[in-house]
Amino acid sequence: MNLPELFFYLFAGVTVGFAVVVAFSTNLLHSAFTLFFLLFFMAGFYALLGGDFLAMVQLMVYAGGINVLLIFGTMLTADVAQPERSNLSFQGVLTFFSGVAFTAVLLAVFEHTTWPLLEQPAEVGPTTIDIGKLLLKEYVLPFEVISFLLVAAMVGAIMVVKGGKEQ
Amino acid sequence: MTLQAYLIVSAVLFSLGAVMFVSKRNTIAILMGVELVLNAAALNFVAFAYFTPSQASQLDGQIFAIFIILLAAAEAVVALGIALAAYKAYRHIQADQLVALKG
Repeated sequence: MNLPELFFYLFAGVTVGFAVVVAFSTNLLHSAFTLFFLLFFMAGFYALLGGDFLAMVQLMVYAGGINVLLIFGTMLTADVAQPERSNLSFQGVLTFFSGVAFTAVLLAVFEHTTWPLLEQPAEVGPTTIDIGKLLLKEYVLPFEVISFLLVAAMVGAIMVVKGGKEQ
Repeated sequence: MTLQAYLIVSAVLFSLGAVMFVSKRNTIAILMGVELVLNAAALNFVAFAYFTPSQASQLDGQIFAIFIILLAAAEAVVALGIALAAYKAYRHIQADQLVALKG
């Protein structure tokens, strides 16, 4: 077994295990911190798939930004009296079995589909230069739209939290 | 590794995320489910870009994954803003009790 394969199984096991903890832990803070480490291991997948820049984006934006925000939100709104009951489910058994059934359907689809695979995936070098060129040439319109969307989301979030009319 | 292996991992993540956002009571837990689903989608994009790249560029899938991460950031900011505003108004964020808009 070669090294990338070993790392894949490591990342896959840890990611799936952590996702189960995130989904079924009854303490919301445990879920939030487990999600943090899950996002680290997702960056490992991206590195295995030749996305070095993407792995760094995942670490900095997702783990460092979004997840810290989630932990903040958890701490600001959690019921401090009963932290171990902060992440309850309703209809837990029913949704669990629907989820298992849905996963089984997806796995069957993957098993019975033939993908137009390359014989040998191309060796990928550093991708940052090419991603920069793509973002400023082919994808310049989505790039500008998403920057506008981020500004709008930021202003909207401030408006929602502060209420807007109290000055 | 094969494409199927990555697809299986992302299918499991997607299902767990979907289970979370249909069954959790806490609004922030629902948001975490959405994050899991978005991560599964981004992993699929990157895996397909590696194993079956598009004709135009090998990196199209990775560009999509970057856009997914940015959209997740925007979505998390707005959803947490709504959660904090709901907490200020009701002192809880249990999704099954936030029924003020119910007709």
